[in-house]
Amino acid sequence: MITITNLTRTYVMGTVHVHALKGISLKINKGEFISIMGASGSGKSTLLHQLGLLDIPTQGEILIDGKDVSKLSEKERSLFRLTQLGYVFQEYAIISELTALENVYLPMLMTGRKKQDCINTGIDILNKVGLGDRLDHLQHELSGGQQQRVAVARALVNKPKILFADEPCANLDSSSSRQILELFKKLNKELKQTIVMVTHEDWHMEYSDRVIHLKDGLI
Amino acid sequence: MFNDLKVSFFLACKSIQRGNKGTSILTVLIISLIFVNLIFFPSVVEGVEETLIRQSIEHVCGNVVIEPKDDQRYIDNADSIEKKINKLPGVVGTSSRYMTGATFFYNNKLKSGSVHSIDPSDEEVVTKFHSGLIAGEYLGKENTNEILLGIDITGKEDEVTGDSDLGGVQVGDKIDVTFSNGIIRKYRVKGIFDISSININRYAFITEKEMESVLGVENQASEILVKLSQRGTEEEYRTNFVELGISEDVKTWEEKTAGKIGSLVNSFSLLTVISTVISLIMAVVVIFIIIYINTVNKKRQIGILKAIGIEQNVIINSYVIQVLFYCFCGIAVGLLLFGIITSYLSVNPIRFPLGYVEPMVEQVLILQNIISLIVFSLIAGFIPAWRTANENILKAIWG
Ligand SMILES: Nc1ncnc2c1ncn2[C@@H]1O[C@H](COP(=O)(O)OP(=O)(O)OP(=O)(O)O)[C@@H](O)[C@H]1O
Ligand SMILES: [Mg+2]
Repeated sequence: MITITNLTRTYVMGTVHVHALKGISLKINKGEFISIMGASGSGKSTLLHQLGLLDIPTQGEILIDGKDVSKLSEKERSLFRLTQLGYVFQEYAIISELTALENVYLPMLMTGRKKQDCINTGIDILNKVGLGDRLDHLQHELSGGQQQRVAVARALVNKPKILFADEPCANLDSSSSRQILELFKKLNKELKQTIVMVTHEDWHMEYSDRVIHLKDGLI
Repeated sequence: MFNDLKVSFFLACKSIQRGNKGTSILTVLIISLIFVNLIFFPSVVEGVEETLIRQSIEHVCGNVVIEPKDDQRYIDNADSIEKKINKLPGVVGTSSRYMTGATFFYNNKLKSGSVHSIDPSDEEVVTKFHSGLIAGEYLGKENTNEILLGIDITGKEDEVTGDSDLGGVQVGDKIDVTFSNGIIRKYRVKGIFDISSININRYAFITEKEMESVLGVENQASEILVKLSQRGTEEEYRTNFVELGISEDVKTWEEKTAGKIGSLVNSFSLLTVISTVISLIMAVVVIFIIIYINTVNKKRQIGILKAIGIEQNVIINSYVIQVLFYCFCGIAVGLLLFGIITSYLSVNPIRFPLGYVEPMVEQVLILQNIISLIVFSLIAGFIPAWRTANENILKAIWG
């Protein structure tokens, strides 16, 4: 599914070079639920940004489904993110001017589907994440955990090949965290959803199939 | 493409619908004021021009003036010329006048000016100065010892104006007039007029009959004013007159005012351009700031939208659509405000030294300004939206 070869990412800040990723090679299989762990500053987020096409690696190759994504134009990357990838951020990252439902179906609307189909799909997914009764709530009318579930629903609406989540539970209490993780587990088991999740809580590991430890930009 | 627009529209609608209402209202209000500013001044200038033209036609020269040939003092056979002209369709009337310089004496005060003669009933058809009578009565055809005076000659009793007028002559007073040919006559003031228009208040009027006896002429004229039923047809009539065998000098009101109105209006037009440019710059700055603040505040959101695969252009367009929306609302409110202002001013015209002026609204002008306001606003909205949406995703989200 994903093949990474010798991936590096170096941030240049004036004369200082920060080597966040120092040559990572990795294979992620279809249907896997992977946890990426490591100390703060070890490069977990950086790695996920490269995989999620939010950033451009300094060196190395990323093949997603055999496609070399470094060759894509800005526009193609955008379309690729829209149709192939789902991304859940650490902070609640839902659009404040849109209701929960609108947030969820927006990416689907962007693919050119009929609005009513998008709405129906959005309602379905929100039901699945347990927010069927919060469709018309705005960001400030939702709790942190609920917002995060909306973000997960939004990431799933276009049936992505891979779901990325960067510390999705970092701002949540343990029961909300558990809900999210259970949800991931369910998606992985029932829909064979490929998931790559960054976390630094040990107890999160047990939900995933495989754990990748990152240390100073290396596996 | 169409779908992209649909999404832009969706985002723009939600943003307007759920955004800060106060800001929206303020934005619309500012744009509407800018729009009013954009069209108000030019329309006042237009109104001034219109007033000047109307006054020239109504008070000074009619639509067309016939004057003696260069080498002659008077037009001969004035009556027959008038008859011929009056037969033409579209001619409302003609009025022949004599003009001569004169000096007026009253109470040891002296004022020089000019005396015009009129056939009172003809004159009434052609010009409107009779409507400016503020005291006394209009002349009758047979009046020989009576005179109408403009307010600049009579002066006002309670106003100390020094030697520039006769110091407050009243209706019924007798004044002495010395004509330029040396003849002196005494006249009773029959009426006083005040027309806030160029020059007319410096004139005195006596009957044609009286003037002919003063000048010792008959059936001649210094000028014949022709009033037409429709402005803009002057040139046609000039050729008609030539065809009728009139060999005198024929001048349209435009020639008669010798471009004075045009040059006045031209000097205004520079001011119009300046005020338009300032208004447009204001519009650009205001909209730029509003959209800039808006996008900077939503930088993170814009980053997130990009991260989930919403294309940059879609995001930019959503802001452009918002600008368009505010612009249309602003223009609509502006038109409403302008309508209120102009309808107020048509009831209470602005008093200029040259007379009452009401703004004249030209549709072309409004359309032009609508278009330029929209174009400038779009540019002003596009730039900050583009700048923010163009930023790196991670930078936009995490600063
Ligand atoms: N935009 C940037 N410019 C410069 N250096 C950066 C930038 N982003 C990250 N880094 C550096 O790269 C290294 C890896 O950062 P990264 O965010 O990937 O860590 P992380 O493993 O996600 O840490 P955490 O658990 O705290 O989220 C860090 O040393 C960080 O300082
Ligand atoms: Mg991180």
